[in-house]
Formats: sequence, C-alpha cells, structure tokens
Amino acid sequence: MPVIEFREALRAAMTEEMERDKNVFLMGEEVGQYQGAYKVSKGMLEKFGPQRVLDTPISESGFSGLGVGAAMCGLRPIVEFMSWSFTLVCLDQLVNNAANVRYMSGGQVKVPIVFRGGNGIAHQLGATHSHRVETIYTRIPGLIVVSPSTPADAKGLLKSAIRCDDPVIFLESEKVLGDKGEVPDDINFTLPIGVANVERTGKDVTILSYGRTLIRAVRPAIKQLESEGFDPEVIDIRTLRPLDIATIAASIKKTNRCVIVDEDYGYCGMGVGIIGKLHKLCFDDLDAPIERIASDEIPVPFNHFQEEAMIPSVERVIEGVKEVMYRK
Amino acid sequence: MGLRDKGLGREARLSSPSPKPPSPRPKKMPAQITMPQLSDTMTEGTLVKWLIKEGDSVKAGQIVAEVETDKATMEMESFEAGTLAAILVPAGGRAAVGASIAIVAKAGESVEDAKKGAQKDAQKDTRGAASSAASEAPAKAQAAESSAPVAASASTSTATLDAPTRDATNGHSERIKASPLARRIAADLGVDLSIVSGTGPGGRIVQNDVLGHSASASTGGAAGAKAGQSSPMPQRLAGGEVEKIPLTKMRATIASRLQQAKQQIPHIYVSIDIDMEAVASLREKLNQQLEAEKIRISVADFIAKACATALKKHPGVNAHFDDKNNQIIRYGDVHLGSAVALPDGLIVPVLRSIDQMGWKEIRVRSADLFDRAKRQKLKREEMSGATFTITNLGLWGVTNFQAIVNPPEVAILAVAAAEKRAVVRDGQVVARSTMTVTLSTDHRAVDGALAADFLKTLKGLLEEPALMLV
Repeated sequence: MPVIEFREALRAAMTEEMERDKNVFLMGEEVGQYQGAYKVSKGMLEKFGPQRVLDTPISESGFSGLGVGAAMCGLRPIVEFMSWSFTLVCLDQLVNNAANVRYMSGGQVKVPIVFRGGNGIAHQLGATHSHRVETIYTRIPGLIVVSPSTPADAKGLLKSAIRCDDPVIFLESEKVLGDKGEVPDDINFTLPIGVANVERTGKDVTILSYGRTLIRAVRPAIKQLESEGFDPEVIDIRTLRPLDIATIAASIKKTNRCVIVDEDYGYCGMGVGIIGKLHKLCFDDLDAPIERIASDEIPVPFNHFQEEAMIPSVERVIEGVKEVMYRK
Repeated sequence: MGLRDKGLGREARLSSPSPKPPSPRPKKMPAQITMPQLSDTMTEGTLVKWLIKEGDSVKAGQIVAEVETDKATMEMESFEAGTLAAILVPAGGRAAVGASIAIVAKAGESVEDAKKGAQKDAQKDTRGAASSAASEAPAKAQAAESSAPVAASASTSTATLDAPTRDATNGHSERIKASPLARRIAADLGVDLSIVSGTGPGGRIVQNDVLGHSASASTGGAAGAKAGQSSPMPQRLAGGEVEKIPLTKMRATIASRLQQAKQQIPHIYVSIDIDMEAVASLREKLNQQLEAEKIRISVADFIAKACATALKKHPGVNAHFDDKNNQIIRYGDVHLGSAVALPDGLIVPVLRSIDQMGWKEIRVRSADLFDRAKRQKLKREEMSGATFTITNLGLWGVTNFQAIVNPPEVAILAVAAAEKRAVVRDGQVVARSTMTVTLSTDHRAVDGALAADFLKTLKGLLEEPALMLV
C-alpha cells in the first residue's frame, strides 16, 4: 500500500471522484493557479482545467452560496476554505441554506456539497484564524460533520463525503497535512460516514478523540500510559455528526471510565455535546465523572508557547486518565 | 446506643426478639446516648459503671458503660462519635428505657453547644421542662431528673434506642457518595454501601471499594456482605415502622423462576429414611487415610456420588422436560447442581460429569466450586446445565423438607440431617444414624414409581457404599 501525505490523500480522493463523476468540481481561494494555499489541490488545475478547478474571489459568503446553488442545480461541488475560521461570515449559506434546503423543499431539492478546509489551531495564526468550528456545525440537523485524523481515513471519508447527497462539513487540520500514512490506492476504497474507529482496544478507560488532537496528544500519551501498565481503549470518533454513539457506549460499558480529548473550548464545546448523549446511556456504568481535556478558555494567543500551553497536551491526557482511574 | 454481640448472653438475645424503642429522635437534636431496651420486659436499667468520663473522646463502637437489666449485666457501646459532653445518669443511677443517659458533642460542635442543645430539647420534653430550665449546669440536674420517676418518663421521652446510623458507624455524611457503577455493583452483590468506606475524592465509594469490601466480607464466612464488620448488631426497626427492601436482581430472579416452577410443574414428593452408619464409618476410615493430604470427605460428598450412581441407573430422573418440543431429554452425563445459600439468596453451582469422579475428586472440586459460589465468582457455565440438583439443609438439623424442582430438570433431592434415631433392627429398638431424603419430581416426566425406585437405589448405595464402586 503506498505511503502518502495527508494532503496527497485528500487530493487523491478529489481527483478520483472528479474522474469518476463529471459533476464533481472544486472551487475556493487559490485552489487553481497557486496550486492551493496548502498545496492540497496541486496539479488539479492542469489536470481538470479551469471549468472544474475554479479560483474564487476572497469572499466566502459569495462562493459558498454559489456552491450551494450549484449543488441545488445538480452539480457536486467541493468548496475549499483556506480556514474554517473564515466561514463565520457565511453561516447563512451553510447553516441556513445548505442544511435546510432539502427539508424546506419537502425533499425535492438536495444539496450534495462538501465544504472542506483547515479547522482549529494551526501555528501562530492568531485568535481570529484559529477557531474550532465543530460545535457550530455539529449541532445543526441537516449537516454531516467529519474530522479525519489519518491520511487513509481522510481519503476514504472524503470520497464518501463527495458521494453523499447531503452537505458535509469536512474538517482538516493544517498541522497534519504533512503526516504520512499507508493509503489504499484502490479507486473503490471508501469509508462509511457515521462509524467511529476503535483504534486500540483496552479495558481500563475509553479515550475519545478526533483529528489532530488524537495524533498529537492522545497517541503519545497512550505510549506512556502503556509503559505504566494502563490498558486504555482509544476511539477515533471520525464523524462528529451523526455520532457513532453505539460504539462509544459499548466501550464505556466495558471500561466504566471515559476521557474526551478535543481542542475545542471546555464550556459548550464538542466534548460537552458527547457527554450529554453519554450521560443517560452510560450513567450506571460510570465509576467516575467523564473527564474532559479541552483548550483553555482564552482567545488563542499568537505567542508560540502560550498557544502550546492552552491546547490539550500529552501530560494532561495522562493526568485525565489517572483521574478517572483514581490513580493520582 | 446498642448492645454488643460479643459477650452477650444467649438468653438476653433470645429474650429480646422485638425490641420496642420509643419514637425516633428528632433530627436536629444533639447526639445522645440513651438507655436501650434489652428485653421485652425491661422498662428501666441501672448504670453499673461508666467506662469513660466527661471530656473523653468517644469512638463509634466503643464500649462506654455497663448496664444492669432485669436479666443480666451487659456492655453498652456508643453508636455516636465525638466527645462525651455530659453524663446525665451517674454510676448507680437508674434510667427508663429510651431516656438520655449522656450527651455526645459531634465533630465541629463544642461541648457547651451540645449541652445547650440537649437542654433545649429537654425543655420541649414535658418531663425535662421543669427541672432543667435555663440552668448553666443542666447536666447534673438532668441526671437527677432522669434517674428519678422512671415509669413516667418512659412514655414521654423523645429519645430513642439509637439504631446504628451511617454517620456514626462509617464517617459517611447523610447522603452516601458513590459512583453510579459502585451503586449498581453494590445492588447486584447485596452490599450495603453504608458500611463501605470510599477511597475516591471526598470519600466517594468507587467500584474497587465495593469489590474489595465484598471480597473481604465473603471470606469472613457465610454471614456475607450484609453483616459487615463495622456493624456490631443488625439494625432493628422501631415499633410501628416498616422497612421496604427493593428486590435485588438475584432475589427477583429467584422469585420469578420459583413461582413459575411451583405453578407450572405438577410436583410429587417421595421420602425415604436412609441408615447412615455405613457411610459414617467408611468416611471415618477414608478421612484418616486422607489426613496427610488435608482432605476431609463430607457426608454430602457421599450423597452426591450416590446420586450420580443412582441417576446412571435411572436415566429417567437424569433428564430435562422440554415442554416447547413435547419431549423429555435424557442425559448420558450427570451434571450435579447443589444449592448454596448466599446472604441474600442462593446460587446453584454445577459440578459437571460428577458421575466420572471418585469421592476425593468430588470433595476437591466441590470445595473450590462452593467457595467461588459464595464469593459470586462463578463462570456462567458453572451455574447452568445441571441435570439434577441436591439441596441440603442438614447443617441446620432439619428432619425433612420438600424442595421445588428447578426446571427444565425433572427432580430435586432435599437432604435433611443425619441424626441418631430409635429404629427397630432385628426386633430390637436401637439408636442408628438416620437421614430422611425427599425427592421432588415433575410428574409430567417422573412418576411416583420411578421416584420411589430411584430412592430405593439411593438408599441401597448409601447403606452399602461399596456398591458405588461397582
């Protein structure tokens, strides 16, 4: 199986789907001539031409709305945002239009569109370019929200997202675009939306995470926890909406403990929504309150060290696990 | 205030089957030590001796005084923890049942406050109002008061025979903090959370605390978890009160299964007396031989082996009644279930293929199985699939009883105690070790004649144990 970068996996998914279906096209800021702000779409303009790889003006509210309209007319747009932070200006297009058109039209008009781009804190982008938007979209019925952590998942899930008849919010992280991993080159390879991945089975505690936090904070923590004799179960949530609650609950029924690690803010954050679902399902199975490792509640600092300090760290994940296991 | 189990005469315990304490103590009242009712006829007690003095700290469970009743002198322990603020009834004094005999200042409460609080309560009390009003030294005044007209005070006292409270016995606050999982496990195991100490934050009881408590309680013997170490005496219900005990999972299962069995299965009962002298003497000999191995074969092991042998001869009894498919399933192997009593219910561990085992193997395997049964550590397959069940109340000395068939099995053997009975032998009345067993069968599968035939075989095997070997 070829080993490729996360960004190459995304490119492969888009390329394969555009080759498979002529209605699929890509648009966004600098996706064409500049080869993509993060080089995800490198070479695609040359391959598919300006009809299917469109450079747009710097106007998210404009081109996201254009995408929704194109989807309503039967095309399958992939709209790239340079940063999900910029979508705060086009919430009407995403939340009001994309999510609701199918319902408001009584099912007559579907919106098969993928919005994708970098979410969350990258590196020294400052407070206004470091938003984690998952709760903004995950709480909206009508949207599907996916956040892959590995190149293979990125490819499999993006292909499923492009084939999906509903609007998909596809959350990437700039920080992991260079991560390499084995990715199937089979053009029929897809991964189902709505299915979490139990990436390590264990009996002591269920650790829930997704995206780059899983890679940067959880995985190194697992190594250390293993060396201290802990046996954690790690679940990559992968799809935030619809949440694979069955897999998560089954795991907690086994481990009786849960730690949720995400980069969102603690209050009203992604983990809170998951806890809300788990609380009733797993109440009698819990031996400790569900622990949340989240970002500090401050605007994201520009300073490198302050930025590092506010997000979930390996140490905080280890502490959280020991907390729920009463092993401080 | 309670009566200590240890050192308490059998007579005293037997003579107070249903103590009648006065109405419960109001919640806000300072902790008091009151005169307990130690027998049905007791109306007052004499304080023989105080073992602590005012100002001493008191631990829950500490013996604080000796009390003479109409029957005996007994040790009393405090269920309250704190500092002894005031002795209200000095040594030699008498007090009515339920009257306060001392005040305990709890943690965080000053001795003076405790005394004042007690005084306030006393003022509400029709008896105490006159004597202790606004006195700076209420203790002695109350002491005099309490030790005087006992008959009158008994009916008006607001004090009570203190049942052990959570607060006093375990340092728990009113509400027990326990994780949801710990609560669920405790309910399943029948563990009383009020006697488990929590190791989590703020004293929260967590999974390991319950499991640890359960394990240590069951190694303590058949008394099991409910009895608990820190509770010296079972809680008593005040007169006129009821206690509502929700069914545990085990209790609910027993209830539904046995109700179904007794309602749906047409039971017949067949009894037989078995001479146990031969088993007794053979057992003696074998156990001498096995002494070095520290194995002691029990009478129950002989009965189990005899049943296995008899069941091989009468396969109609070693069967299941399959009412769904209108058939009777006979088994080539004997998987013997044995009812084992637990603190709140019973469990039936199954010794598989017992027909292939000798007495010694039966003993060793049963010991392990029953031990784990009591600790509720059996695997699923060790609790199911029995082809026949024995229930034995011999330990309790019963002479005979009938059991309910455990479907889909078709028979169950109720074993009573082996005891010396006067029997006629060769025209003479002689004392012989005799045991009555009763076979309950499902008449749909086992008729009376077959039941009797089985019992005859069983009797023959136990009266001539060597036959089990052929």
